[in-house]
Amino acid sequence: MRPSLERHDTDILILGSGGAGLFAALHAQKAAPDAKVTIAVKGLIGKCGCTRMVQGGYNVALAPGDSVERHFMDTIIGGKWLPDQDMAWKLCKTAVTRIHELENEIGCFFDRNPDGSLHQKAFAGQTFDRTAHKGDLTGIEIISRLMEQVLARPVERLQEHRAIGLIPSRDGSALAGVLFIDMRTGKFRLVRAKTVLMATGGGPTMYKYHTPSGDKTMDGLAMAMRRGLALRDMEMVQFHPTGLLAGAGTKMTGTVLEEGLRGAGGHLMNGNEQRFMFDYDAAGERATRDIVSRAIYEEMRQKRTSPHGGVYISMAHLGPEIVAEKFKGMVKRCADSGFDLAGGLVEVVPTAHYLMGGVVVDTDTRTDLPGLYVAGEDAGGAHGSNRLGGNGVANSTVYGGVAGDVMGQDCQKMKALHDPDETVLDEELARAMAPFAHKPGDVTALRDRLQDVMWEDVGVMRNADGLQRGLKRIAEIDDALSSVGVAADNLAFNLSWHDWLNLRSLVDMSTVIAKAALSRENSRGAHFREDFPDAGAMQESYFTLATGYGEAISVARAPVQFTIVKPGETLLGEDEAETLVGAAQ
Amino acid sequence: MSETGEFLQVSIWREQDGNGHFESFQVPRRDNQTILDVVAWVQQQADPTLSYRFACRVGMCGSCAMMVNGAPRWTCRTHVQKVADDNRLEIAPLRNLPVIKDLAVDMDPFFDKWVAAEAVFEPSQTRDDPMPPINPQDPMRIAASDAIECINCAVCYAACDVVAANPDYLGPAALNRAWSLVNDSRDDGQDARLKAVSGGGGCHNCHVQQGCARYCPNELNPTLSISGLKRATAKSLLGWGQ
Repeated sequence: MRPSLERHDTDILILGSGGAGLFAALHAQKAAPDAKVTIAVKGLIGKCGCTRMVQGGYNVALAPGDSVERHFMDTIIGGKWLPDQDMAWKLCKTAVTRIHELENEIGCFFDRNPDGSLHQKAFAGQTFDRTAHKGDLTGIEIISRLMEQVLARPVERLQEHRAIGLIPSRDGSALAGVLFIDMRTGKFRLVRAKTVLMATGGGPTMYKYHTPSGDKTMDGLAMAMRRGLALRDMEMVQFHPTGLLAGAGTKMTGTVLEEGLRGAGGHLMNGNEQRFMFDYDAAGERATRDIVSRAIYEEMRQKRTSPHGGVYISMAHLGPEIVAEKFKGMVKRCADSGFDLAGGLVEVVPTAHYLMGGVVVDTDTRTDLPGLYVAGEDAGGAHGSNRLGGNGVANSTVYGGVAGDVMGQDCQKMKALHDPDETVLDEELARAMAPFAHKPGDVTALRDRLQDVMWEDVGVMRNADGLQRGLKRIAEIDDALSSVGVAADNLAFNLSWHDWLNLRSLVDMSTVIAKAALSRENSRGAHFREDFPDAGAMQESYFTLATGYGEAISVARAPVQFTIVKPGETLLGEDEAETLVGAAQ
Repeated sequence: MSETGEFLQVSIWREQDGNGHFESFQVPRRDNQTILDVVAWVQQQADPTLSYRFACRVGMCGSCAMMVNGAPRWTCRTHVQKVADDNRLEIAPLRNLPVIKDLAVDMDPFFDKWVAAEAVFEPSQTRDDPMPPINPQDPMRIAASDAIECINCAVCYAACDVVAANPDYLGPAALNRAWSLVNDSRDDGQDARLKAVSGGGGCHNCHVQQGCARYCPNELNPTLSISGLKRATAKSLLGWGQ
């Protein structure tokens, strides 16, 4: 029997309130002033999601000597020729407008040079000091200011509303709306809309060590797959080399200790308190994220580990007072967590940070399902096999704004809302209520199991045997989850029900990641295959394309279209230096 | 891992539909353990219906603040060893905000006041204008900057006795943000803002008890910001009188 279902209508519905969701709301309202705009979010407006957690900053070609072309080339080369070039171009080009909007209209504070211009710092993988920032808390500034603007406008808020299903129209030709659980009451709510933005923000939290916020469990991507949308680059999970390691049972484990610690001269030491990075790369601790992550992983495999099974970061040789001054926030956070970063050894471990893969979209954020738009980490293509630090928040704010503009225009052309396909609606309701039919069990233990499997078999270093084993183990967890129940006697703000639903999404997407990783038989960017260590010919670059659901997931390969620049070519002029890092000083 | 063999005696506030009481739980103590970890352990191992809120885990989002042994704190960054005297903990929802269920409060009144204080940037330029040069050493920029790193966690709002006594009081966080904007040379909304913060629920209610500054996890000083607003509104009133 169908449970009670509240029905609600709007014109423009936005899922998520990170950089993409909030920008979309502002732009949609400007593009369609008479339209009703609704933001629905799994947590609180502006508080959940990961834009807030951006430490590094915002890549944008602003300073004299830099150019959109240079930013674009860095993005393509960083992504190992896998990015969708049109998306990457629009990202770099529009970032210039967006940063002006953030400064002039939204009121963000960005650090300044003594001459009053924006300070832009060097960041890994870039040939120009291009990263605008607010100290090392850029994300808080951007989101707090965007949040104020949205709260001050007549945007409808559906907070603590978890999206659980995209519901198509009765004839299947378009999206009719989205099914939610109002988490506060535990009741279901169907919201119909003319246009829907999915900006729920990827987030590879199915790994034992991960950085994204706790609310992120890839629900959006799982919903999109159930509607038949293709996901690209799903094997591309970026690991940050230095996540805090504080043992099991604490949410502190996995959280990022910033990149700058290694850049400033921090040492990594194994369990024998010996430096090891120079055994792997001439750049030592300053090697790129992927190389450092693999080196740490190898030390761990060789059992040269710290008490909790990782390695150490050590800063004390730089002078504890200097470290405490230069990395004030990081040192304070470690101190709150019980660790002395400035003077002692802190245990670290590579930690899953960002999903480059996502829904296939065009440069206007449109998908193959009319009425559905996708932006931010949920969208694939802009980063290819590796995202540059500082391109994440640029991507979410650029494409969130684009989505708002486009949805505003499209929504004005649409006459009426669609009636939902009641069969799909029933399926999605049944799916959410499935655990009520079973005896309550230990969802946390199952999630721990999944996180171990993904870390061991689908993690930093991969091979065919491990991936096959991983898929088998994921399938076992999938089966086990199907018979683990949740008590249904009090569903108001019932986090245990949501733990179950979270794990459901994570299991689904873990299968996709493992299958995509098996399909890519070379090593590019974040994806490393021990049995196929070569990158393969750049001219013959392909990206993976996953479709289907459950056991029917299949992964195809599609050739990368070099629409703007071909491998071996550059957009930079002959007289332009390959790198200008530090040249601005 | 690294369980100490000891147990924490944890008293947690349970509330639904307006009826509340404390409930006791025994939680294994660990070497590395935050208050948020304790709450999550109870929900995942002892009582699956316990409600609370968190997101980022690292003191950036301001979702997880609660009253811990009577004081407002961000729970993700509060280590058990810092607050658990004799292995005893009392955890309750943030003060001065309505409870949704158990430890989760409705933060809308806090943000409604943020907007009511006109603590929202009012642009004087557009995206098509060049970026204004701003001297980082300019005293106004420094004053604005000193107040800006707020994560809107509402710890100060819960710490404030004036908010407790006067539900109309805008509270330290909203006023702190308003003060930051008063010093923002790019902002075009000063008249409306000064009016908003000098009204009935405004800055003049502050009794300088400094609860906000004492508990702000980011070491901001809203009391100082509110003093600035008092001066600014007084000046502005003089200006209107002329």
